[in-house]
Amino acid sequence: MKATMMSMLWMALLAPSVHAAEYSRPMADANPDVIRLLAKEGDPAKGKETYGLCRGCHRADASGKAEAGYPQLAGQHATVIMKQMLDVRSGRRDSPRMHPFISDEVVPEEAIAHIAAYLRSLPVPDTNGKGNGRMLALGRQLYQRDCAGCHGKYGEGDGDKFYPRVAGQHEAYLLRESRESRDQGRRNANPGMVRILKGYTDEDLEAVSDYMSRLVPPVP
Amino acid sequence: MAPRVWKARIAATLLTLGMGYTAMVTGDAAQAVEVLVERSCSGCHGMDGNSATAEFPNLAGQQASYLLREMQDYKEGRRQNEAMAPIMSALSTQDMQQLAAYFARQTPVPGTVNKPGLLALGQRIYLEGNDRSGVPSCEGCHEENGEGSKKFPRLAGQHVPYTLDQIAQYASGQRNNGIRVMRTIAQRLTPEEAEAVAEYMASLK
Repeated sequence: MKATMMSMLWMALLAPSVHAAEYSRPMADANPDVIRLLAKEGDPAKGKETYGLCRGCHRADASGKAEAGYPQLAGQHATVIMKQMLDVRSGRRDSPRMHPFISDEVVPEEAIAHIAAYLRSLPVPDTNGKGNGRMLALGRQLYQRDCAGCHGKYGEGDGDKFYPRVAGQHEAYLLRESRESRDQGRRNANPGMVRILKGYTDEDLEAVSDYMSRLVPPVP
Repeated sequence: MAPRVWKARIAATLLTLGMGYTAMVTGDAAQAVEVLVERSCSGCHGMDGNSATAEFPNLAGQQASYLLREMQDYKEGRRQNEAMAPIMSALSTQDMQQLAAYFARQTPVPGTVNKPGLLALGQRIYLEGNDRSGVPSCEGCHEENGEGSKKFPRLAGQHVPYTLDQIAQYASGQRNNGIRVMRTIAQRLTPEEAEAVAEYMASLK
């Protein structure tokens, strides 16, 4: 019975939903309620096995590769991971390098929640790439004014609301994605965030990316 | 090796298939599997799974799970090869399981590196991939020493021409069993990268 329910949820998730977009997107958003439900079903042990296919880029400890622009995934909220995997798979988020590796035949849909649960369970490495450290005061000011409300005082994010953890992410990745979001190259970016980023100069983006890469949330 | 030569070998192998294995199963199991190897496999892959000719893959020390999967895929047509299909179609699942276990426990001989000048590039691709073209590292799945795992084949010490042929088959779609990520990777490798990484795999022990 449970298996049937889960597969119905997956069908609901993969079917187009009716969320309005603020600007043109090729497909509707994945259904957030369904992702929240499925995230609870993730099994880290099963996810660890499937994650083997991701290690070639995101590394065995899921620390990614700063210089390659491969994000650090360890400790990220499961819902965030699932949404991004689904978005890359469906084309809502453009990632030509990753796209073939998240197709149906490579990652079965039921494995997505398991991989996300596994990544969430991993410790966050503190060896992530950071910026030049020259504009941290500006970064801190911008972060506290514009970002902390959603991404948290310490960059811890909020899985229930799909706000990514940004603390400990590679600076180069944060910079690229925030620039892409501002310039609307990242089509699945949160519209509210895009509005804020529109007022940012390149220097602002560098400052806040460097600041976020250095955040360390207190251990609960 | 010229096609004429391996065709002759395959013909000889096929002839022996007519002799039937059922009698062997009743005998000592270890001896039976050796008879099976001698009749069906050794002509190309060597009695100990170290093939003498670089077009035929080494099987010694290969992951048993991979060997079994490939034999079944040959038999059922998911992996296509005119030499392997008729030989495999004469085998039972139990034969295949025994053969897989037999070759997995053989000792691999070190591979042959033909172009040592390519090893540095090959190592970089194997361990780091290529960030610009989106080639993942090989070690992510096949392990740092190339021994593979229950899910992914061993690559260490494999013949360079065989590895290159498989990469080409993945890229063209001619090999489409168990592809998962391999088609994309093979298509993203440059010819030089493919050759270099094949040399590096041959150098792994």
